[in-house]
Amino acid sequence: MSVGHIARAFEENGIPTVIVATKAFRPRLEVMSLPRLVLTPYPMGRPLGAPNNAAGQRQTLLAALDLLETAESNGSIVEVDYPYR
Amino acid sequence: MSGETFVEYKDSFSYGSRPDLSFKFLKGLSEEEAATFLHDLITKVGEAIDDGDATRIIEHVTQGQIEAYSKPTQWAYDDGPFAKLAKPVRESRIGLLTSTGHFLEGKDPEPFGVKNMTQAEAVERITDFVKSTPELSEIPADVPADQLLVRHGGYDIRGVQADRNVALPIDRMTELAAEGVIGDFASPAYSFVGAAAQTPISRKLAPKWADMFKERQIEGAVLVPV
Repeated sequence: MSVGHIARAFEENGIPTVIVATKAFRPRLEVMSLPRLVLTPYPMGRPLGAPNNAAGQRQTLLAALDLLETAESNGSIVEVDYPYR
Repeated sequence: MSGETFVEYKDSFSYGSRPDLSFKFLKGLSEEEAATFLHDLITKVGEAIDDGDATRIIEHVTQGQIEAYSKPTQWAYDDGPFAKLAKPVRESRIGLLTSTGHFLEGKDPEPFGVKNMTQAEAVERITDFVKSTPELSEIPADVPADQLLVRHGGYDIRGVQADRNVALPIDRMTELAAEGVIGDFASPAYSFVGAAAQTPISRKLAPKWADMFKERQIEGAVLVPV
């Protein structure tokens, strides 16, 4: 929830944000009316992907940056499904 | 442990006698759900013995976490603000902020005034952390791995210890900036211990940190909770 509060404050101050989180956090984040959310199917504590899987981490970040640029309204949520390894 | 019930056993992974933050969610499952989860886990471990494929185990653990975290918390809002990115990402200065609890060697935020607090001590003091006001640590994008430390009593830090980029993707952001995908990656990035009191974050810290990002002319932010 900490990061959800930060996203809301940043947006109120004109800084666009995108949150990258593991899917387990969806229920908690969704109710916070957040601007942009990329959800990943990975174990908690590893939201970008597996250790030393640079290609996978990169794909997750690219999805986040794409949403940062293209989202048109609050509540923009994307689920990615790249393999963990 | 004589006479320990199954409920006591499953709950012991959450800040009990067997702390393991990847499995603290077992406490959030009913007795029946936890029994089913563990039985299925054993079955999948048995299958992995022969083909060596841990994917089924990782997916099962992730699914267990998702089921256990299915209830929202009190922090709900009917609507929320939205700022549009003024320029494409390839022309924008992008910042990074995570709740991973990273800090630099020699710049330990020393929670509660404790010097050199270990990860085990942070886990033991989780109830103090969730009432505390966090401190923001600066993380230069080029910090060597041996000078970057992490401590957070709320999540399993083994992933970020193996590779910081699983939740603090400073190397991936640096690469994307070098390739021109991002206009500029604003270094330092920032990290704090997200297991903290929410009201001061919401009312005081988050607006203050937003001002700091604006002063640093950061035009968009990637935020990573753990």
